[in-house]
Amino acid sequence: MEESFTTLPSSHLLGSVPAVVGEGKKVTSQEVPGANLQIFPPNNGGSGGQGYQTLGATSDGAAQEPNNNWKGFFNIYSYTQYFNVDTDIVLNRLISSLYPIQGDFVSKIDANPDLYGLVWISTTLVFVIASLGNCATYLMHRRDDHSTPWNFDVSYLNMAAGSIYGYALIVPLAYYFLLQYLGSSASLVRFWCLWGYSLFIFILSSFLLVIPVEFLRWTIILIAGAASASFVSLNLRSYIQTTDLTIVAISAFVLQMGLSIFIKMWFFA
Amino acid sequence: MSHSDTIPLHPSSQSDIDEIENLILNSHHSSVLPARPPSPPRASIPVSSTPPNPNPTPTFIPSNLPPPSIPKSTPTASIPRAPVPPPPGSTSTGGIASSGFGPAPNTLTEPVWDTVKRDLSRIVSNLKLVVFPNPFREDPGKALRDWDLWGPFFFIVFLGLTLSWSASVKKSEVFAVAFALLAAGAVILTLNVLLLGGHIIFFQSLSLLGYCLFPLDIGALICMLKDNVIIKVVVVAVTLAWSSWAAYPFMSTAVNPRRKALALYPVLLMYVSVGFLIIAID
Repeated sequence: MEESFTTLPSSHLLGSVPAVVGEGKKVTSQEVPGANLQIFPPNNGGSGGQGYQTLGATSDGAAQEPNNNWKGFFNIYSYTQYFNVDTDIVLNRLISSLYPIQGDFVSKIDANPDLYGLVWISTTLVFVIASLGNCATYLMHRRDDHSTPWNFDVSYLNMAAGSIYGYALIVPLAYYFLLQYLGSSASLVRFWCLWGYSLFIFILSSFLLVIPVEFLRWTIILIAGAASASFVSLNLRSYIQTTDLTIVAISAFVLQMGLSIFIKMWFFA
Repeated sequence: MSHSDTIPLHPSSQSDIDEIENLILNSHHSSVLPARPPSPPRASIPVSSTPPNPNPTPTFIPSNLPPPSIPKSTPTASIPRAPVPPPPGSTSTGGIASSGFGPAPNTLTEPVWDTVKRDLSRIVSNLKLVVFPNPFREDPGKALRDWDLWGPFFFIVFLGLTLSWSASVKKSEVFAVAFALLAAGAVILTLNVLLLGGHIIFFQSLSLLGYCLFPLDIGALICMLKDNVIIKVVVVAVTLAWSSWAAYPFMSTAVNPRRKALALYPVLLMYVSVGFLIIAID
């Protein structure tokens, strides 16, 4: 009975207190009046770590709290609610990001979007394309001229960090504002989660892009780009209520393809 | 306080402790009981009544200030109002009274060499605890109880310098990238554990991640001296495994066991990227 409250769509409204929570709070507070107060100050992950969806009676009250436990922008415990995932959940989400057609990713992350994927997938991607890009460039030059020395270009790291972090942070933000302006409901955290996991396939394809055959590289990057782009646009469509906003989904597709082509041309030339 | 050579200031312009001391000294009934014994003369150079102590141990030498019940007599030592640190190398190390303030006032006036030696020995002991096998490794509370940030600082700067020396072009950019990567990486890794709901102390974790860089430092040094790619790969692989093994118990016990991999993966990522930098820079 209590679990349905955690899956209310209003949970994405930061700082808002859904009206039904009051009822739930009263029920639990009658039994253990002090428990809620005790759970509040320490980390929410302690209560969230016991189970992410199905909770017992007393810890159910605590499950309501993390959604509204906003302590301010500079308090780290406000953000633990977005990292409330376990290893198996993250792996599940990673695998499902590889399927371009299914389009059900949004329903998976609806109850518990996480920013862990965004942060660490983009960081891994930055490192991977910077390092493998250097390797790939070296191999290409060596194929033409056998005596080129190995030269590690550190500027690849700067460019990779700037482009990947910029893309992963700004594009979902732009789409969030766009959809808010156009009237559809949107959730910034879920957008960030979606775009973050969509970058995972580029990590895998970067390992294949080291092969110094130009035709093969183009094929790989186009396939990976198409898969990632369709993943993003199909999942974005569930936020678009009316059909004449399909242009938004198409533009997301185009942007993701643009990113993949940029990665190929700058790092794996 | 010394009224013999200074004009007594208005009580309101004295510091709080001075005020309390004056109250104690001027009221012989000691109606104001200090919470701790009266403060010693702060950073005073004792007169020759006490011989210079060759062993600079923080021994308790009664202060020149008389206890509150005795009428105040003119103190024999001139007590400076502001703490004046004596020149380094002075022989006044043993003469500082320590009462109520703990060891902190002692270290202000000891020779610089003593301070450096103490910090170095702490770095070495922390290093032995973290990086080398010892029975305390599984207990994160005990492992780095006496953490400090000097060790990590030295190791990060040393790694940056080594990488910069090894690089043939863009030396300053290499140093900047290495330093930023390691420093920001340590902070972000700690934040990651905290966000996943783990229990660690921020600076203790920074300290530990810095100490775990020590094997990579050795690897970088060897790679700088030997230029063969195969040797570099082998050395970096070994030191990378060593660093990860050093950091593993601390990180894994800090979070919920179901999130262990989530906390450990970024550590591995950082060390692999540093290892790659070591191999790739030439």
